[in-house]
Amino acid sequence: MTSSWWSLVEFAARPLERDEREAVIGDSVEAGDSSWQALSGVLGFVLRRQLLLWKSWRPWLAAFGFAAPSTWLLMTVSLSVTCTSERLLGLNLGHWAPTGHEGIFMLLCHVFLLVAWSWTSGFAIGSLSPRTLWTSAALFLLLAQYLHRMYIVAAPVEAMHGAVAGGFPFHGSFPALAPLAPFLFVLPAVWGVRQGMRKVQLQLIPALLLAATITLLTASAWINNALWVFNWLLLCPALYLVATARRSETNRSRQVQRSERTSL
Amino acid sequence: MLGEFEYLLITTAARLGDNAYGAAIREGIEEVAQRKCSIGALYTTIERLEGKGLITTWMGEATAERGGRAKRMVRVTGKGTRAAKEFYEVMMRVSSGASWAVRRAERLS
Repeated sequence: MTSSWWSLVEFAARPLERDEREAVIGDSVEAGDSSWQALSGVLGFVLRRQLLLWKSWRPWLAAFGFAAPSTWLLMTVSLSVTCTSERLLGLNLGHWAPTGHEGIFMLLCHVFLLVAWSWTSGFAIGSLSPRTLWTSAALFLLLAQYLHRMYIVAAPVEAMHGAVAGGFPFHGSFPALAPLAPFLFVLPAVWGVRQGMRKVQLQLIPALLLAATITLLTASAWINNALWVFNWLLLCPALYLVATARRSETNRSRQVQRSERTSL
Repeated sequence: MLGEFEYLLITTAARLGDNAYGAAIREGIEEVAQRKCSIGALYTTIERLEGKGLITTWMGEATAERGGRAKRMVRVTGKGTRAAKEFYEVMMRVSSGASWAVRRAERLS
């Protein structure tokens, strides 16, 4: 096997765990498989493994229950935070102000909610199905590209044709920052994904406190007409966190009871 | 009850004993069943059987002929042996009276 083919087989085997990679590539080498056979064998295994993962409900919930709707909603919240900030800073950058009457308190509330919603969504996606994370990432990229075109690229064109409310404000003064405005949520979301993948377990009380704070702030923003009805959906990841924290606490107490019984 | 490929894998692993690992099992299956056995089918079945508690696996030593890579060793558990025996007996019972089974029994006697 040439070294370039070897590298390709190694690369194709990357989604597998270290031990599996060792065993599978070692078997191919030992059996004297040609480079093409080794590559197709590894790819076949990776594909089978991925397909088998989708027999469970977890990747479906992670990709279509959390990743897709969260991307859409968090992009609009990011834009909203950007617009409110520029209005409060007194910058006359445009007319796009979807939640146009918020003060500094509501802006801070939105910023906290944006970080908390993003982190909890990322955490839920990372912990639910780490092995199918690439699907959630692909969905995110597809949606982000579509929404970015809608909000950033198409909107100023509409504005030129008289649909001023669609124009995005940052184009005038901060053209370099404009493409980043809808992606304020990405960093906390990636942080959450990493925590979720590391199987960091939240205790029940902190999870409850986080969910309660998010609910209170969401309700407060809702009462002040500063939220869209669909933003309530962003509570789901926090509720999922509470449910998993509760389950792991129940499992822990059961284990303690069992070990107490066996020691008696 | 076991599936056909699961039975092939367990039986081959049992026959190989302490030398049962991925490549050897694959070779054994291809030899006996006279058909190609893909790495994907082999390892997903190993994983499934391990999940059911019918086999256990662990990482063995690395050898030069494998490019210095470790083997995934396989051992059939007691539960696996019982499941394979049950499959075998069902196949024997269901085959009794079938023309190919009768002819084989005659040849053997």
